Amino acid sequence: MGNPHDGEETFFERLAEATRPGVGAPSRLKSRVYSALVRRSEQARPLRSLTATEEAGHRLCVFEKFAQILPVGTALDSVNYCRFCHGRVLAEMMENAPISWKGCPYADFQRR
Amino acid sequence: MLDEKTDPSAVPRPASPSPSRALIDAILDGDRKAIARFVELHADDVYRFVSHRLDRPEAVDDLVQEVFLASWKALPDFRGESELRTWLLGIARHKIGDHYGERLRKLIPANEADETDEDIAPRGLAVIPDFDERLDRQKLEARARQILSTLPDSYRAVLLWRYWDQRPLAEMAAISGNTEKAVERLLARARRLFRRKWNDG
Repeated sequence: MGNPHDGEETFFERLAEATRPGVGAPSRLKSRVYSALVRRSEQARPLRSLTATEEAGHRLCVFEKFAQILPVGTALDSVNYCRFCHGRVLAEMMENAPISWKGCPYADFQRR
Repeated sequence: MLDEKTDPSAVPRPASPSPSRALIDAILDGDRKAIARFVELHADDVYRFVSHRLDRPEAVDDLVQEVFLASWKALPDFRGESELRTWLLGIARHKIGDHYGERLRKLIPANEADETDEDIAPRGLAVIPDFDERLDRQKLEARARQILSTLPDSYRAVLLWRYWDQRPLAEMAAISGNTEKAVERLLARARRLFRRKWNDG
């Protein structure tokens, strides 16, 4: 007869293995994490300018695009516009937030 | 025939940076869209890893966020010796260790050492308890979670840390500041109660 502990160990090991969850992160959590990382990043150094971001192949959202064409030079190029955006607030609070514009990370989190 | 001087394939080319390296460099340069990509690529894995192991569902979101913030801080030191995902899950594992270490420091009663070995010896035959392989994973997960939710906090914590996080007893004892014996006793009692509920259900 084997050690009774071995049987128990096997049971719990198998159970833990068999219950691996398949569900991914909720979009509101991704949104919160993203917001926190961008905040931390901009505290450490200016964010990469919108122009450089676009040149790196990323799509800007409609508000960033608007800010980019304002006649204020590069003064506002590193601002984190998401901080003032209602899309961010909605995305951090709910799943399937009603935001859909292109180039918005929060909208992308909802879609995937 | 091409010699070494004219054959372009013979000329060593500088290695192009890995996708992970390029992403990290962009993040460190303050590229907000790269940060979004980083979250999109890895949040699901970190979330699954943490939620599978944690005893308090309401703490999962905060811990996932902590993992990402800690990783952001440590990114300049990432050498690329492992996959970015593996590295992130290592940070998550460390955070989970901190979580349970603190939990068990509080939850293991001071009189734990007074208990005799007889109290924790498994009773009955050395058989694996009823384990219905036909149950699909979702049902199994739901049933295990349901039983875990009815256990005392210390039992739930010690079971999940030991088996779901696959943490060796010696590490559990060291991190939580308890003796191995004390952790083992708590674990034995937790196993016994869980099994009883499992078999009764």
